[in-house]
Amino acid sequence: MSNLLQLCVSGLSLGTIYALIALGFVVIYRASTVFNFAHGEFLSFGAFCMVSLCAAGLPWGISLATAMVLTGALGAAVERVVLRPMIGRPVFVTIIVTIFVGAILRSAIFIAWGPQTRGMPTPWDPLTTFEVAGASLLANSVAAVAAGACALAAFFALVRRTKLGVAMRATASDQETALALGVPVGRVFAATWFLAGLFAALAGVFLGMFPRSVDTNLGFVALRAFPAVIVGGLDSAWGTVLAGVLLGVLEVLCQGYVNPHLGEFGKNLHAVFPYVVMILFLIVRPHGLFGTREVERV
Amino acid sequence: MLEVTNLEVVYHQVVLVLKGVTLRVPAGETVALLGPNGAGKTTALRAVTGLLDIHEGRITKGSVRFDGREVAGRRADAIVGGGLAQVMEGRRVLVDLSVEENLLAGAWSLPRREAAAELERAFERFAILADRRRQQAGYLSGGEQQMLAIARALMSRPRMLLLDEPSLGLAPRVVGEVAELISTLAAEGLSILLVEQNAAMALSVASHASILENGRIVREGPAAELAADEDVREFYLGLGGDGRTDYRRVKHYRRRKRWLS
Repeated sequence: MSNLLQLCVSGLSLGTIYALIALGFVVIYRASTVFNFAHGEFLSFGAFCMVSLCAAGLPWGISLATAMVLTGALGAAVERVVLRPMIGRPVFVTIIVTIFVGAILRSAIFIAWGPQTRGMPTPWDPLTTFEVAGASLLANSVAAVAAGACALAAFFALVRRTKLGVAMRATASDQETALALGVPVGRVFAATWFLAGLFAALAGVFLGMFPRSVDTNLGFVALRAFPAVIVGGLDSAWGTVLAGVLLGVLEVLCQGYVNPHLGEFGKNLHAVFPYVVMILFLIVRPHGLFGTREVERV
Repeated sequence: MLEVTNLEVVYHQVVLVLKGVTLRVPAGETVALLGPNGAGKTTALRAVTGLLDIHEGRITKGSVRFDGREVAGRRADAIVGGGLAQVMEGRRVLVDLSVEENLLAGAWSLPRREAAAELERAFERFAILADRRRQQAGYLSGGEQQMLAIARALMSRPRMLLLDEPSLGLAPRVVGEVAELISTLAAEGLSILLVEQNAAMALSVASHASILENGRIVREGPAAELAADEDVREFYLGLGGDGRTDYRRVKHYRRRKRWLS
């Protein structure tokens, strides 16, 4: 029982991180129907910034905020420089372009920070655990869940309650109409990419914490959030958050309960498990849990 | 107030859609722009509101002046902020947003508090929308969607409103309501440019009208004068000189028109 609780919490923390990553994909997709393959590199950029800022002696909280803003700015810059000129071109072309942006960023990060693996600094001892009902929960996992939940709540408040949120949804719904209403669509795109960058950095920081670490492969983890995007329904923010959390929990439970029974074959089975779920979804329910059902008057 | 002079618009660098259109909407007046499909009516509106870019269109000649200032080439959001709002063809409500959010999207250029005040005014004027405040806009009826589209355009407190085929796809009674609304707005001092295929409706609310065919203005004048004109009656209002439509002549006219273009 305590084992189950322990696994659930660590699954929840992984799931929250997946949800943050997936949300970054979704906000960009919804605004511009572009799938941003460079998102993983935003993640590692954020994590490396965090490592460097802490190493430079800044307090942890300020480092985190700065890393998030820097990554957001990187996102906005990529949008402005690379994607804005692509408006009106086929979306397919734009998506290919993001793959190359990702490759360039990955190399740049490699050049700037080098190949060595680093530990992510934490304001608490990274090995701190809480004892709850006989299970020992990592402080890092609990913090990831809390921070992720706060970020997600802030995001939904922004989208529902603010002018920018309404503009973002208007742009996502019908770009030309948004333009005709006087919404500066270009600036809304930039804001979208900025937000995606903020989430990416936050996810990157918590993803880099013990028991994991920060290296240039961190970016590839973003692709492991990919099933969450599909299962949630490509254009539903709520859906991806839910799917991200569920898949994170499933992955860790699979690691804890299924892997050990399959011997050699079971090694790292958990890593492909979310993809199995994704493929099942693509077969049975291709629009995902909460993907768009067309609004239609009858 | 709005002066379009000698406007030439080219799509995709090759398709010449407007071939020197001149159009004037004096302050406080309602002007109708009539014409058949593909004449360039919507293009003329896009040129005014800065939406040509996304359709790969360019203004190659002429000017568009609003309140004496050149607007051609300015960004769409700057133009709307400057007091010119438009209702696009086909209503284009944001289907997955609520009625209230649709209206708020139209108020981007206003500060938050004024937007809230404007929202209340919109609900006062459009009681049907107030009832459906939180409802998803995609589920409104066609007439309600048209009202929402107009209300949304009014949210930015425009001095001039461009309406693109507000009667499209609506029941005759609802067309009457829309016409009534346009008259009310005009009486309140709003300048209106009304693009329509429903010539009878347009001529009933407008003071002046221009007829656009194949990218050129072929007739213009006071609405009453055009409504009485033989050709306009025949080709746009569907009334022959003796009250009966002569289908042979209609056909002949169409054939001739195809040759001309």
